[in-house]
Amino acid sequence: MEKRELPFLVVLALPVLAVTLAFFLLPLVRLTVIAGSGVDGLSAYTAVITTPRYLESLFATTVLSAAVTVVTLAISAVAGVFLERNRFAGRNVLISMLTFPLAFPGVVIGFMVIMLAGRQGLIGEITKFLTGDKLVFAYSMAGLFVGYVYFSIPRVILTIMAAAEKLEPALEEAARSLGASPWRVTRDVILPALKPAFIASGAIAFATAMGAFGTAFTLATNIDVLPMVIYTEFTLRANIAMAAALSIVLGIITWLVLNVARSLAGSTVAAAG
Amino acid sequence: MRRTYRFYAQLGFTLLVCSFLIVPVIMSVMAGVTENFFKGISSGVTLRWVVEVWDLYADTIFLSLVIAIACLACTIVLGIPAAYVLSKRQGRVARMIEELLTLPLAIPGLAIALALIITYGGFRDFRSSWVFILVGHVLYTLPFMMRSVLAVLSTADFRSLEEGAASVGAGFWRRFFDIVIPNCRSGIVAGALMVVTLSVGEFNITWMMHTPETKTLPVGLADSYASMRLEIGSAYTVVFLIMIIPLLVALQLYGQPKKKQAEHFDDLENLQSSTAKSGHMRSRS
Amino acid sequence: MKSGTLRAVLMAIGMLVLATVAGRASAADAICYNCPPQWADWASQLKEIKKNLGLDIPHDNKNSGQTLSQLLAEKDNPVADVAYYGVSFGIAAKNEGVVEAYKPANWDDIPDGLKDPDGHWFTIHSGALGLFVNVEALEGAPVPTSWQDLLKPEYKGMVGYLDPSSAFVGYAGAVAINRALGGTLDDFTPAINYFKELAKNDPIVPKQTSYARVLSGEIPILFDYDFNAYRGKYKDKANVEFVIPQEGTVVVPYVMSLVKNSPHPDLGKKILDFIMSDTGQAVWANAFLRPVRASAMSAEAQSKFLPASEYARATPVDYGRMAEVQKGFGERYLNEVR
Repeated sequence: MEKRELPFLVVLALPVLAVTLAFFLLPLVRLTVIAGSGVDGLSAYTAVITTPRYLESLFATTVLSAAVTVVTLAISAVAGVFLERNRFAGRNVLISMLTFPLAFPGVVIGFMVIMLAGRQGLIGEITKFLTGDKLVFAYSMAGLFVGYVYFSIPRVILTIMAAAEKLEPALEEAARSLGASPWRVTRDVILPALKPAFIASGAIAFATAMGAFGTAFTLATNIDVLPMVIYTEFTLRANIAMAAALSIVLGIITWLVLNVARSLAGSTVAAAG
Repeated sequence: MRRTYRFYAQLGFTLLVCSFLIVPVIMSVMAGVTENFFKGISSGVTLRWVVEVWDLYADTIFLSLVIAIACLACTIVLGIPAAYVLSKRQGRVARMIEELLTLPLAIPGLAIALALIITYGGFRDFRSSWVFILVGHVLYTLPFMMRSVLAVLSTADFRSLEEGAASVGAGFWRRFFDIVIPNCRSGIVAGALMVVTLSVGEFNITWMMHTPETKTLPVGLADSYASMRLEIGSAYTVVFLIMIIPLLVALQLYGQPKKKQAEHFDDLENLQSSTAKSGHMRSRS
Repeated sequence: MKSGTLRAVLMAIGMLVLATVAGRASAADAICYNCPPQWADWASQLKEIKKNLGLDIPHDNKNSGQTLSQLLAEKDNPVADVAYYGVSFGIAAKNEGVVEAYKPANWDDIPDGLKDPDGHWFTIHSGALGLFVNVEALEGAPVPTSWQDLLKPEYKGMVGYLDPSSAFVGYAGAVAINRALGGTLDDFTPAINYFKELAKNDPIVPKQTSYARVLSGEIPILFDYDFNAYRGKYKDKANVEFVIPQEGTVVVPYVMSLVKNSPHPDLGKKILDFIMSDTGQAVWANAFLRPVRASAMSAEAQSKFLPASEYARATPVDYGRMAEVQKGFGERYLNEVR
């Protein structure tokens, strides 16, 4: 049956392959070529390592994305497993609230961070009331961090809840009946079982954070995440070659991380929603 | 069931996270309907900012909807066949194709936009039309539709259904249109809601690719926050929320689909009887 | 084919057709890059153009740097007909060959230093750079009177300036500060040192116009133009002030160009002519800018500006040189001040 089906499958696959070839592969190839044919030539690619400004930006972006991923996973694990396991009045409302920001563009999130932590933000008012000193962190790395966590939680928590649904209660029962404390049950039974979901959703969260632009654009002060640097290169006299080179490097790094995640988690990454 | 201390601790934590996500939204909504943000709610509640937003930005809202619908149509036509192919073939080529199709998620939106501008920016009509932006959106949302459908297609239920259909003698195209598509409806609906939601909110790619004539809602939103009064930007956010909330509610309701076993077999029976009616037992193709 | 599936397929096609048809909504007649509605009251200008010329021009919220970049990126097939930007970007655009020579109506009224001899760019209005202050948001601190004032701890977290590497007003601010503190266009060290000092005071550095944020009090003190401050004061009735710093500042012309190989060159020329006409120039005057044709400034508009004695401290610079050194300064700023 398989051999006979092949021609039909090819026909089905043709449209999407054509579109991807024309509008994705071809432009990316051109981008790679353009990156290497600017004023600096191929050294535009190594400029990421050799120019301190770019290297620092890359480092900052990676560290920020990693930190955001870890914190988001932690928060989502606690809240996600809890919501999946328990039924109580208002549960659905809470779930909606947590997945709600999925659609928000980065700009809106940036301005909400300003509303929370800007000069006239809620947190500033509260801390002034409590301690007399206004806490303003919207325009620093902390503000960016908060914004990134904000849009990462909805993406991650859905996957974790779906995986939590599939956990086998029998295993936990067994562990408990053997005398394990709740903490040990969590550490040794639940967390390992959720590992594939953690890796899958964590990889997506990391990739999204690395490429995020809107939030940094709105909060933009001296924050130097790589997408902002790319944007600045493009608008600073259309230094397209450098912008292209930086984009490619960013894409490669993100792709590598996703690949590592996939090999760690096996094929579950593919089908996970 | 006794509620333990752990339950309440976790509930408290979850509530804290929820308020972290929702409170700023409420603040933004309030700013959008307040007369004067600086003075606060005491200055009065008004809809004039929302009206002004409509005057200034109605076309961006309209364009966003148009692009979202078109994006949905494209991802349906492109994504469902792709998901089916990937569910049938497990070889290296298939995995490579899958990798290729999900690559747009790894490449930052800026890069995709830049690549498209460099390659196709020369075709002025294409460059200045909304279809240019549509291309970016389709590339970005296609993996979500594909994944959603693929998840349904990979279930054991589905495989047995397809084999049942094949054993009855249904041909390839028959199987595809009469069994495959109706039965992954839940995956299609979930994917569709995801695609529309993501398209309406897409900013990274669209910001680079837009022209003054092809501004979408998020782009207009960024504009308004930058150069208009804060109340207008917030009112614009209110309009955005009004558009997006129904979609998100639907996403939540349909996101966990469980089609009944009986419905699956209905399809199979229909197929059996119609195959018998048409008389010929086509060889498996 | 099962009827359910057929319906679905037809619906999908129907959606696509509907979308395509609906998408052909009102097309613009001409495109202007960097014609944002609230900056310099382009909203009114575009309305006047619609009224007098019957042309529909959509708003565009790029800043000067983004405008030039888009023009360069679209060199082979431009989308815009006319462009508006700060003078140094106009000069750069000419050097890059993306604009066309055109002498609009009333060409001779434009002083020599404010136009390219062949017409690749020409000033339409100018503003003076200074401090745009939201008095109430200062929380009791006195209104600053000089650039040096802003380094004081009482203004910590209150000062904002646009990114000098991306926005023209940011660069103009840097030029003004540099000259006020003793530097020249060949040596930006005083400005770099100033920004480094200022960085200790937690400044906010947006990439685009932040008029809204000053009015809302989020950025109490912004390096910005007099016309934005006057707009806040007289049009939006906010408690704001404009301050011309004691050490001095610059007057900055904003220019327009006809884009080379644009889609509608004739319409572009008409638009530029209109902006240089009495009606067009009067719009600027009402928006508190100095129209390049001084005759268009009415006494009533003049009365809303700060007195001439204050404006004595706002003087021009060599704009050509300013354009030449812009890129170098941008690099230096990005590398040294972060």
